[in-house]
Amino acid sequence: MKQKNEILSKTLPNGLVVLAQHIPHIKSAAYDVSFPGGLAMDDKDALGASLILAELTSRGTKNLNSRALSDAFDFDGIRHSESAGFSRYSYRGSLVADKIDTALTLVRDMILDPSLPKEEVASIKDLYLQDLISLKDNPSALAMIELQKRYLPEPFCRSQYGEESGIEGVSYDRLKKLWDDSYAPSKAIVSVAGAIEPERIFEQIEALFSRWEGEGHSPPEFTEFQSTGDHHVPYESAQQQIVFAYPSAPFLSKHYYTAKVVNGILSGGMFGRLFIEVREKRGLCYSVYSKHAGAKDYGMVTVYAGTTPERAHETLSVILEELNNVSGNIEEKELSRAKTNLLSGLIMSEESAASRSVTNSSDWYLTGKLRTLEEIREGIESVTVDDISDYLSEFPPNDFSLLTLGKRALTRDSVGGKR
Amino acid sequence: MIDQKLVTLSNGLNVLGERNPHSKSVAMGFFVNTGARDETDEESGISHFLEHMMFKGTAKRSALDVTYDLGALGAQANAYTSEETTVYYAAVLPENFEGLFELLSDMLQPAIDQAEFDTEKNVILEEIALYQDRPSFYLFENALLRHFSGHNAGNSVLGTTESVSAITSDQMKDYLTRRYAASNITLVVSGNFEWSTLQALAEEHCGQWPSNGTQRSYSEFTPENKTETLYKKDLSQAHILLIGDGVSAKSEERYALNILTTILGDGTGSKLYWKLVDTGLAESAGFELDTRDGLGVTYAYASTTPDRSEKVSDLLEEVLQNPLDFSLSDLERAKNKICSRLVLSGELPMGRLMSLGNSWIYRKEMHSLDIEVEKYRGIELVDIETALAGTPLKSWSKFTLLPEKN
Repeated sequence: MKQKNEILSKTLPNGLVVLAQHIPHIKSAAYDVSFPGGLAMDDKDALGASLILAELTSRGTKNLNSRALSDAFDFDGIRHSESAGFSRYSYRGSLVADKIDTALTLVRDMILDPSLPKEEVASIKDLYLQDLISLKDNPSALAMIELQKRYLPEPFCRSQYGEESGIEGVSYDRLKKLWDDSYAPSKAIVSVAGAIEPERIFEQIEALFSRWEGEGHSPPEFTEFQSTGDHHVPYESAQQQIVFAYPSAPFLSKHYYTAKVVNGILSGGMFGRLFIEVREKRGLCYSVYSKHAGAKDYGMVTVYAGTTPERAHETLSVILEELNNVSGNIEEKELSRAKTNLLSGLIMSEESAASRSVTNSSDWYLTGKLRTLEEIREGIESVTVDDISDYLSEFPPNDFSLLTLGKRALTRDSVGGKR
Repeated sequence: MIDQKLVTLSNGLNVLGERNPHSKSVAMGFFVNTGARDETDEESGISHFLEHMMFKGTAKRSALDVTYDLGALGAQANAYTSEETTVYYAAVLPENFEGLFELLSDMLQPAIDQAEFDTEKNVILEEIALYQDRPSFYLFENALLRHFSGHNAGNSVLGTTESVSAITSDQMKDYLTRRYAASNITLVVSGNFEWSTLQALAEEHCGQWPSNGTQRSYSEFTPENKTETLYKKDLSQAHILLIGDGVSAKSEERYALNILTTILGDGTGSKLYWKLVDTGLAESAGFELDTRDGLGVTYAYASTTPDRSEKVSDLLEEVLQNPLDFSLSDLERAKNKICSRLVLSGELPMGRLMSLGNSWIYRKEMHSLDIEVEKYRGIELVDIETALAGTPLKSWSKFTLLPEKN
């Protein structure tokens, strides 16, 4: 007998991995179908081609035209999205579980049998070009992208919005070729969770996807971080954006859970040190946070603060001080608070089918296996103050790249920050 | 399996619960029937400012204690202020429910310490600055103010830099006493908890809260439709907003109109989607109903490049001028979309919490998810026609935000 909540996996002969998790006491289900591709694998002169292609596959299949396809999803109340991310294409959806057959069939049709209507390309390009224009009106997102461009190596530095020249210039034939080259099962994952029977999902996926063939793209390998200098982008806005990034533990590193806990201490809930010191005690910002992201072969912490220009100097100075203070300065209580929060969030996310389907898929992609709730709990609970010291000596939060976007430039030297 | 109960304490505080023993968490929220609409001009922004002060200390907890205690409980907590309601909510694992209850009810009796007040005022001013940099928010805020021309329904939630700067802690204490009466607050709990525990906690921690006969003051609103273009420096995209009549939160016609706005203006697969977004003319387009206390509005919105703003605006109006230009299968699809979303969002205690709280605050109504789904299932074309026979979609104000000309 399978245990409740157990996640089962099966690999089909074409390489496609199927993950299925039954969640008791809910009526919904969610799917996530993903495979390598996206901005990281776009040709350098066609950045954004993958964005157009993912959207194009949703504009009709061999059986259904664009309108009929959209109507079919809507008729069964299936919320769905088709997109190209940084290194994966993903097709996701949430639905009332008795509609899972329809949902997976429609997704199969978009991936394996899209009609790729040429006449839709111009309007899709228009949409993504407008997204790029709109980005200019979004200072916080723009600041992060500008930082990423300067700090990460090619192709990790690429903007998830693509580039104007790439979107405008890519031809229909190149889009078709991109579909031929990248839509392949060898590294694809289909993850389904919710009110479903795993064995039935395996049968269904096998029936739908076993004729899918091909090798597809390989994800890029990370080299090393770029310049750690200070940068400024002039911009007319009420608030000054301050962002910076420094290396941290990758997903597979022994420091991974420690990095998550340290980020919890710095930026968890409303009790993180940055929030307390910058916002609660000094009222310098509305929004200040740090994030830890652990990819397969690199990890990174990004810090964000948005504040009016006259408070920017003090904001940066307090943040830098807090980052320097973490090492060797953590109380047991603080540690336990950060762990409780991570665990509580984790358990609550267990009852959401959408969150399970995505997490299972990303775990498999990163490690080739699945983490049980127990493993994660253990990983988080076992972090000690000594682990934190080890982590911080390997990834000291001072080797960073800083970027400000707004009316005036700001450097770490100007606030007495260490290099 | 899922059951609901309502208890009214002797001071008038309503306690609503929906228990689902299979949930992995429990969510609770205090829904206060107060917001920007209940502010005088001098108080503009005070409801939202007060919402922030609830996290800044009580008679027995400092601001840091509040924050750290929330952290120790693993609570996912937050609050929001709208034109008509202020809501404080959190979710925890069931074993931390009692701790959360004690903490959240203590927070609702804030100390409003002067030093904390002064610091937090700066945070609010930063929040106002942050939203100034978001064009669509900027347009909504300014358009509502103009559309309601002086009526309190158009009051700004954040207030302005000037109004917030001038607010004193005494004004805030006065507002708190006036508006946070037990009879003006509803406590909602959803998820995995025990009735006996809830009742005992409510009596113990909220039973002594003072009450008064506080009421919202209502005045007649007669829309005068306006057409206005606003300009913003260094803007890249154009934004268009049409504000028209809707129906109030009490109106049964809201079901029919919600279905209609889904047909005409849902994010995908709607009339506006096919006309504007699928064709690449607009970056986004939507149409929705905002049901409020005693009145309601509809918003039609689109963002596009400045050179296309007139064309997009015309097409937006064209869709609204022909609201019944849809098929029965469009109707069926919209119903299915709405019902599926209700089921999905209703699966998490937090999703049900919001739905239960708002439905009680506005309608004194307690519906199970199944009943809510049935209401939408039962809507026919004739119900939409009847709803349209009233004021919705007869006329609207039109606001456009464009880049300032150099």
